[in-house]
Amino acid sequence: MDVALSRYGAWALRAFFVLVVVFLYAPIVILLVFSFNNANIPAFPLSGFTFHWYHQFLTNSDLKSSLKTSAIVAALSSTGAVLLGILSAIALVRHRFRGTGPVAALLLSPLVIPYVVFGLALLLLFHTAGIPRSIFTVVIGHIVITLPYTILVLMPRLQQIDVSLEEAAYDLGASRLRTFRSVTLPLLLPAVVSAYLIAFTTSFDEYAVASFTVGTQPTFPIYLYSAIRFPSNLPQVIAVAVVVISVSLVVVIAAEVGRRVAERRLGAVES
Amino acid sequence: MAVEVGTEKLGERQPRRRVSRPSLTAPGLLGLPIAWLAVFFLVPIGIVAAYSVDVLSFGSETHGFTLAAWHDFVHSGIYLRLFWKSVKMSLIVSVVIVVLAYPLAYYLALSGTKRKYVLLLLLIAPFLTSYLLRVLAWTVLLGDEGPINSFLSWTGLRPHDHPLTLIDTRFAVMLVLGYIWLPFVALPIFVSLESLDRRLLEAATDLGASRFTAFRRVTLPLSLPGVMAAFLFVFIPTIGEFVTPSLVGGTSGYMYGNQIVDLFQTGFPDWETGSVLAIFLLAVVVLLTLVFSRFLQPRQVSAS
Repeated sequence: MDVALSRYGAWALRAFFVLVVVFLYAPIVILLVFSFNNANIPAFPLSGFTFHWYHQFLTNSDLKSSLKTSAIVAALSSTGAVLLGILSAIALVRHRFRGTGPVAALLLSPLVIPYVVFGLALLLLFHTAGIPRSIFTVVIGHIVITLPYTILVLMPRLQQIDVSLEEAAYDLGASRLRTFRSVTLPLLLPAVVSAYLIAFTTSFDEYAVASFTVGTQPTFPIYLYSAIRFPSNLPQVIAVAVVVISVSLVVVIAAEVGRRVAERRLGAVES
Repeated sequence: MAVEVGTEKLGERQPRRRVSRPSLTAPGLLGLPIAWLAVFFLVPIGIVAAYSVDVLSFGSETHGFTLAAWHDFVHSGIYLRLFWKSVKMSLIVSVVIVVLAYPLAYYLALSGTKRKYVLLLLLIAPFLTSYLLRVLAWTVLLGDEGPINSFLSWTGLRPHDHPLTLIDTRFAVMLVLGYIWLPFVALPIFVSLESLDRRLLEAATDLGASRFTAFRRVTLPLSLPGVMAAFLFVFIPTIGEFVTPSLVGGTSGYMYGNQIVDLFQTGFPDWETGSVLAIFLLAVVVLLTLVFSRFLQPRQVSAS
């Protein structure tokens, strides 16, 4: 007899699981259907197949420039967050020092601040300091909110890497930098990549903080938010949504699979 | 560096864990991250606090320190009532989705299914896609002439001129928030159930406990930290939510976070009152985090 679940219990839970997964994916599937629907409003009955909406958004220059802005913002901020994250993770994992607790709490605290509060706090900072808002002010905010995610991804991996490998490098005369570059970083790389991806996608999608810090160049979420106020934009926004959600689903799944494969290989090397 | 390594080599017996002994380099490594957070995280919050007591103000002239805005905030009651409404909404959402997510996590962790990580990824993947676009999907779905209502009138389940009022309601806000957070909530519960020692359940069964008793006396208590973490992971961010209510909430789904945004971004900004609201929200969130900090260990999330 199974101690956790009866046969009927397992069957009921499986059915419930399927139901929830359907609930989670149904809106995405419905969007997918309507992105090909030849009508100005997304309503049943369906009225024919078209690529028109995809074509329309591919030729929409405002949308494309907002995508480009977001790509730049995400690339800059995730690079910054990963660099700061690596420094923090090494300090927290490899060094014992007084005040580890408070320092870790500070580094992770952007996880719990309500974004509306953080966004307006940055707005007031830039206003008080007389800094004009631009893509760089967005980047600054995004580095703060993505830093904890990079630390949370990097720390467990760093803990798994055997310290004696680094010690061996020191014993062979390698400097700290050289040791980091030749030993630690290659072993840490899978985590660095997933930290980068998490920071990138978080920044790319971030609306709340950006709505306070954005200048004249809208990021993609800012553009979308204003575009959906106009019903005429709805079909092409649906098409964009389908593309972005599908691409990120593929990236997320590929990244997770890749991370597991890479870590298994590195695990084999280490042991 | 090379010199340092050289002298260390000359030392007599070297401690086994050399790199983890107290070191001067920790402050060097932490300098940049901490400075960044100090300048772009702590200082801005300080500035909000300064605005809330009128030490700084929107125009150039300030009247100096005053608690007038705080006094109005406490005594007018409008904002506190709105805050309470938001708390109630996010409480309902958090409780409902924790209750829904528990069986999902239980199924993945304890049913012995071979594909549990694949299924977990399937469950969580939507959470990792665009937040804004998932809200947006619902603004499309719930519209008066959207897919749901047009489907109902097309199939004759509902007369065309009486669509279901779905969008711009409090229910819509809670539905969408639940939709967004549900996959994420399953994660900490899964982690706590996953680490449960099955032998405890076997022992309980051997001692004559039914499955239900074993669940009530063993599984549930041992998974409570995960349940608590899951609850807080949703409850804390949704109190200050403003994006979802502004897209699907209309006036009846208006939340505290929307009020803060409106005090800063409308044509008649009131930065002083807005700062009071923001600091109050932050204080509540920080208090919740501190009180429940033992449930909010990073490992609850990162263990997966």
